[in-house]
Amino acid sequence: MSVVKGCDIPDDLFYDIENNVWARREADGTLTVGMTAYGCALAGQLVSVAPRKAGRSVRKAKSCATVESGKWVGPVKAPVSGEVVAVNEALLENPGLVNEDPYGAGWIVRLRPDDWDAESGDLLTGEAALAAFAAKMDADGFTGC
Amino acid sequence: MTRPRWRLLDTGLRRAAENIALNRALLEARQAGEAPPTLRFLRFAPSALIGCHQSAAQELELDYCRARGIAVQRRITGGGAIYFDPAQLGWELYLDRAHAGTDMAAISRRICEAAAAGLSRLGVAARFRPRNDIEVEGRKISGTGGAFDGDALLYQGTLLIDFDAETMLRVLRVPAAKLSHKAVASVRERVVSLRELLGEPPPLERIQRTLAAAFAESFGVEWEAGGLVPAEERRFEAALAEIDTPGWVFALDRPRSEAPLLSGSHRSPGGLIHVDLLVDTRRRRLKQVWIRGDFFVVPPRTIADLEAALREVPLERLESVVEEFFAGRQVQMLQLAPRDFVQALANALAGAEAVS
Repeated sequence: MSVVKGCDIPDDLFYDIENNVWARREADGTLTVGMTAYGCALAGQLVSVAPRKAGRSVRKAKSCATVESGKWVGPVKAPVSGEVVAVNEALLENPGLVNEDPYGAGWIVRLRPDDWDAESGDLLTGEAALAAFAAKMDADGFTGC
Repeated sequence: MTRPRWRLLDTGLRRAAENIALNRALLEARQAGEAPPTLRFLRFAPSALIGCHQSAAQELELDYCRARGIAVQRRITGGGAIYFDPAQLGWELYLDRAHAGTDMAAISRRICEAAAAGLSRLGVAARFRPRNDIEVEGRKISGTGGAFDGDALLYQGTLLIDFDAETMLRVLRVPAAKLSHKAVASVRERVVSLRELLGEPPPLERIQRTLAAAFAESFGVEWEAGGLVPAEERRFEAALAEIDTPGWVFALDRPRSEAPLLSGSHRSPGGLIHVDLLVDTRRRRLKQVWIRGDFFVVPPRTIADLEAALREVPLERLESVVEEFFAGRQVQMLQLAPRDFVQALANALAGAEAVS
C-alpha cells in the first residue's frame, strides 16, 4: 500500500485517474471496481450508492453507479466496457462502507470486461499511478485525505 | 480587463420531464465542451420531484398527485422530495470545477452565498444555511442540490416566490397530523416566500435580473442571453426519451413497508414532546423527523434546526447527534433537557422494533 497526500493508493490496482476509479483483476477474469480514497475525500460522507443492476452492460467511461453525498450526485465511471455481474449489496444498507474501506468492503460493482486488453491501455498502475495522483492532487489544490 | 461572457438561458415554464432532461443534456454538453458555462432559469408545471436516489412510493402521496394531475419525476441531483409549482423559480448553474473548486461542500457554500446576496438585493435578509439551504431569519426560502459529471457541475436551487403549503403537505408523505390547520401554520413558520416577506413579490423579470447580477459578480463574468445549441437539442431529445418514462421515475422504488411513519411522545417536567418519524428500516436511518409539543425553547428555530440535524442520521447515532446538537449552541429550555428529546425519539422507535 502506498500513500499520496494521506490517501491510500494500493500499488497493485489499475486506476482511471481522471475519474478516481480503481479496478482489480480477479482470477475468474472479472473486474472489481470501486472509488479511490481520494475520490471519497472529495465527495465526503456518502449517503447513497446506486449501482447499475447486474446483467446491464456499461460502456467505458459511462456510469456503472451513482453516489450521493451532501446533496451532490455523481457517477462512478466504468474503467472499461463490460457487463455488470455483481453489485455490492451491503452498500444499499451502509453506503458509508465506501468511505471506511474503499478498496475492500466498499467495492461497488464487479464487471465482466468486453475486451480488457483493448481498453485498459489508459489505466495506470504502480509508480505511474502514484505519480499521476500526486500531479492531479496538486492541480486540484487538494490538501490531503 | 473584459470579463468572460457566459450564457444566460431561460427555458420558461415546462413539464418536469423536460426540465430534468434539460438538466442531463446541459450537464453532458458542458462536460463535452459543446456549450458555455450557463445560468439557467426554469419553472415547472405542478410537479412532485424526488431526489436522484429516492423512492417515489416512499416519499410521495402518488394517489393525490395522480388525481390532481401533478407530474411525478426523479431528479438527476441529490437531496429530498419537493413540490415545485409555477409560483417557484428554479435557478441552475452549469460550471466546471475550475470555476468553482474541488471541495463539494465549499462549492455549495459559494453558490448559495451568491444566491443569498442576490435575494438580499430584493430586500430580504437571505443567508446561506449549511449544508444546502438559503433562509431568511430562520425560515427556508430556497433549497438546493447538485450533480457532477467529470469536471462539469450542475448546481440548482428553488426560490419560493409564493408558497402553497397546503398542496405541498398533500404531495409529500408527511404524518396525517401535519394536515391540520395548526400544522400548516407550523410549516409556515419554517418556510417563507418572497410574497410573504415583501407583500407583493417583485416581477419575475426583476428577480431573475437581480439573481443573475449576483452570480455574475461572484464568478467575475458577464451574461449573454442565448438559447440551446444544436448539440444540446440532440442530447435533450435522447435524455427525454429515457427520463419521460415510469422506468426512470420509479427506477429505485422501494416498498412503503421499509419506510414506516412512526410517532411517539415523552412527558417531561418541561412539557409534552411529540415526535413523528419517517424511518428507513432497511438502512436503519432516520429519514425525517417532525417535533411538536407544549414545551418552551428559545430561540424557537432550535426545533427546526434539530429536525434538520436529524435527517439521514443512523439510528444508533441518534442520541449522540442530539447531545452534540445541544452542546454546540446557546439554547434556553424550561425544565427540559436534551435527553428528553432522545427519549421521545426512542419511544417512537420502540414501535418499529418489530420491523427492524
